[in-house]
Amino acid sequence: MSAAVTLERQIRPIYEALDTGSNKSAIVSCNKLLKKYPSNLLVKSLKALALVRSQKVEESLALCDEVLAVKPLDDATISAMMHVLKGLGRITDMVNMFEEAYKQQPLNEEYGAQTFFAHVRTANWKSAQQVSTRMHKQFQDDRYLYWSVMGAILQASDPSTTSSMKMLLHKLAHRLVTSSPTPSYLTADRFHMHISILKELELYDEANTLLESDIGKTICSTSLACDQTRREIWRGRGLFKEEGQCAQQKILNGDRNWLEFLSVLDSIFAPVSSRREGGITEESKNECLENISKARTFLAGVVEKDGTKNRAAPLALLELEHRAYKFGLSDDSVFVSVMEDYFTQFGDKACCFEDLISFLDLETTSLDRWKAFLTQHQPSFASVGDLQRLINVRKLERYILLDSEITVESETARGLKYLNEYLGGLALGGDLPVTELQPADDLVLLAANALVMVWALNHSEEALYRAATVLEYGLTKSRMSFQMRIMLVRIYRILGASSLALEHYRQMNVKQVQNDTLSHLVLTRALTFSLAAIGDLTYPSECLESSQIYLASSQETSDFIVRSFTAEKYTQIPDFIDFESRLENSLQRDVVKLEHVRMRLTHEPLNTDIIDMELIELKFISPRQPRFLIIPSYQPRCKPTFNEQSLLFGASTGQGWLWCFLKIYIRAFQHASDLDDIVEEKLLVGDRPKKSSDPEVQLPLRERLALRRAEEIAELTSEETQLLDWATALGDWLEPHHNYVRPPPAVVLAEASRQTELKTGFPLRGVDLQAHNGDANGHHKKDEEAPPIKEASSLLTVFFDSMLSRFEHLVESKCSISELLHVATITQEAFILFIIETMRFKSPAVVKIHKLGNLVAQFKDVRLRASCVLKEMSAALIKIGEVEGSVEHRQVFLQACAAVTIKEITHDFVSNVAKSVTDSRKKALEGVGKGMTKLNAAHGQS
Amino acid sequence: MFKFNNINLDVWTETYAISFYLSYLSRWPDLCCVQEAPSGRMMGYILGKAEGSSTEWHGHITAISVAPEYRRLSLARNMVNRLELVSDDHYKGFFVDLYVRCNNALAINMYEGFGYSVYRRVREYYGTLGVGKGGKDEEDAFDMRKPLSRDPLRRSVRSNGREVVVNASSVS
Repeated sequence: MSAAVTLERQIRPIYEALDTGSNKSAIVSCNKLLKKYPSNLLVKSLKALALVRSQKVEESLALCDEVLAVKPLDDATISAMMHVLKGLGRITDMVNMFEEAYKQQPLNEEYGAQTFFAHVRTANWKSAQQVSTRMHKQFQDDRYLYWSVMGAILQASDPSTTSSMKMLLHKLAHRLVTSSPTPSYLTADRFHMHISILKELELYDEANTLLESDIGKTICSTSLACDQTRREIWRGRGLFKEEGQCAQQKILNGDRNWLEFLSVLDSIFAPVSSRREGGITEESKNECLENISKARTFLAGVVEKDGTKNRAAPLALLELEHRAYKFGLSDDSVFVSVMEDYFTQFGDKACCFEDLISFLDLETTSLDRWKAFLTQHQPSFASVGDLQRLINVRKLERYILLDSEITVESETARGLKYLNEYLGGLALGGDLPVTELQPADDLVLLAANALVMVWALNHSEEALYRAATVLEYGLTKSRMSFQMRIMLVRIYRILGASSLALEHYRQMNVKQVQNDTLSHLVLTRALTFSLAAIGDLTYPSECLESSQIYLASSQETSDFIVRSFTAEKYTQIPDFIDFESRLENSLQRDVVKLEHVRMRLTHEPLNTDIIDMELIELKFISPRQPRFLIIPSYQPRCKPTFNEQSLLFGASTGQGWLWCFLKIYIRAFQHASDLDDIVEEKLLVGDRPKKSSDPEVQLPLRERLALRRAEEIAELTSEETQLLDWATALGDWLEPHHNYVRPPPAVVLAEASRQTELKTGFPLRGVDLQAHNGDANGHHKKDEEAPPIKEASSLLTVFFDSMLSRFEHLVESKCSISELLHVATITQEAFILFIIETMRFKSPAVVKIHKLGNLVAQFKDVRLRASCVLKEMSAALIKIGEVEGSVEHRQVFLQACAAVTIKEITHDFVSNVAKSVTDSRKKALEGVGKGMTKLNAAHGQS
Repeated sequence: MFKFNNINLDVWTETYAISFYLSYLSRWPDLCCVQEAPSGRMMGYILGKAEGSSTEWHGHITAISVAPEYRRLSLARNMVNRLELVSDDHYKGFFVDLYVRCNNALAINMYEGFGYSVYRRVREYYGTLGVGKGGKDEEDAFDMRKPLSRDPLRRSVRSNGREVVVNASSVS
């Protein structure tokens, strides 16, 4: 007994050390204790935990396996191991550990719950459901019953569940929920779960009994989630009329939830929208007309009561007349009058434009009337309200411009008009604190939109200079305007002034989850501007920083799913799961990952370590979620949005782009790497990501890499497409030789094991070296014939010539600097890929043994050509950079901006903008140019 | 959270770690809500919680924010009303409270309009801006409260709240 007490006393400091993050001292104390008690599991698992936390994964793994092999049973060890396994990402092992412990001690409630949670973390709903059912039988706590109901529901909503299975699972959930000894209405979340099941099974009568009860009504009145499900059930039963009446009552009682208004509207049009087959009868039409006239009176009453305090009723009136017009039940002139009324009432609010644009699908005659209404508006700068009204008029006018009304001249004139009005409106915000936004801001955004339109029409950079200048001026007045900054980021990237783009991006103070939705602004195709080759790691570190949240989320979100179960907040669970999967499958996450790899290769020495590591990471990337874009646009509806117009090189970096580049890199890395599937299986620790159910992902990787799709290639620039073709030709040419020369798995594993032993003192686990001992030394002779050496495709050298001529053409035509950098960096990328693909054949021994002399001799031509082209481009870039930095060049900018150098926008101000733009471009040009020289020197000779 | 940039890129709105939002949603989903425009664009949101013991049991407004383009439309009032309703009916709290920067006159006026009054001044509650132009006002917070139906005698509020100063460490 006393020994146990002493031990406990000795273990306590280890916990304290772990709690305070002193992992080193924790390890030391563990070692001391292990000398005395060499087989103590708790100490071992605590040491494993300290090791994981100090990044010593390999050592931790060995200990971890030792502990798991014994199948621990005591609380302390299991809870320590839980943290170890979480840290190592071995969730499957965690599941097994808890399952085993729970099996051994079925009366231990904690183990049961932990087993359940472990299944929840792995999204294994079926097992989770089974465990919780067992727990409910054992411990008779209703909570576990509801856990198992939730398990069944989640299993049903898994995309891989068939529809018949779905039905069965919902029936099971229903049976479980009704078997509960306590009614579900004890909490809103249980109640919600219950009625959702009834909704799925369309058991409306039963649902109705619950909903009509007093307690049901009370729950729905405070829980939005329950009320929403109730609404859906009523609709499912076809009770549009009743639902409408109920909603109408709520509105009368002061509820202004838009969903209530929608219910009212749906009930009005139910007679004509629900009977589509056989056309609409006269009778239903009349019924509907009657409804409409009643609703008009009703809504008019609410509108009068609310005044301008709440816009829900006026919006509903708009929606009512719009639908009536769409169903042919009223004249569109009625509708236009309602729009005019709405504008009169809410024209001085910023939301007016957004509110109205969804209704602007008018016939020509009505559109003309609407236009005339807008045109007769007299601009006034008397109050903020007047200014806002003017802004709304300008936005609405612009939105419905016709294609024929949009020319370089007219847009330039509009841009200047907006700018003048902006300067006029500034007076109204003169005394605002610096943190506030100017009420006139949207006018300068409109001006910039018009100027960007000019650029989109004539591709002359002058318009972009002007747009940048007016936005920079706007920022001096509204320091916090993120809309202006977003536009500037886009414009500066096109202009090749990448350091300015990054500066504005950083000023927006993007953090946490915003990285996922905003980092695309600076990080897509960032290789074009990266100065990593000359040691400037700004962009690569930006990539790493913006990816932090994915790591945090993957660790945290599942914790919160577990917590929702503990707190019985079931309504949130599906949303959390969706949230987790969105972040886990984020397109932006992988685009950034890939961009980081591209930049990393220009900076770090190319060796097998980096290749092996990146290969494994890239291989697990599967189809992605699209991004959410929030980029303001005030362009006319007949033209592309500002976002589309200002995309760098006019091409997006979506799924297609990601796949094309992934294919290029995975293939090159596979060729260069010694890790084949067998080796990887042995070496990789932790769980593999869950495979998506997408049919394409089921294809073997090799086949997936060979696929080429037109819609994917559509996202590439012409240079990127050429790179893809080039890389494919190179890969096809060298692949057979790589496969033949690559050492067999046994040799690779033996080497890996030796390395691990050097590091940790233990050989690699799970690798039986004895069996392969014959192969582990010396070279392995293959049985098959060596593949014949083929002539290199002429494309391999032609590519570089074609890039050079494109480059020279761009220089002559004084085209945009970003395009120039793009051609140069793509050429440089091909060069790096070539080095990676030929690395294996660098060793003279390999060449000699496999008689590859003829193959290697052909490399020389390609490398020489590439090297020459890089040299020329590099020299040209540096030269252009010098010119860019000159005073004459700043003059060009100033002249272009003469038209916008008006009033408060002084010559000095524009000259400062000109200086920062030209300086930034100079930096980019020189940096990329020098980087190319450096890369050429590093890889060109060998 | 993927859609809130139009709201959160504002200076006064803090963007927290993912776990912050998730912990609110996992514990008080009914005190958190988002208002969307009919187009699906986010207009504003409110995050709240229920906390305290015995007569201090109350609803708390943690964050409330409305995108610039949807201001002056009573959105905040609606969201606060909803939170009060749920705190009253469902959580049976005695009052609802919130913290606001002492120099945010606009917001204080708005809350007073909703029926809130200053209960006490909390010293150095906000550490983020540092002592700036506004001096102490930028860092100190007012704790504002509004009694609910369980507190008909208005015991949870007082009229001289602005003079009652406490340290940040004493209020959790």
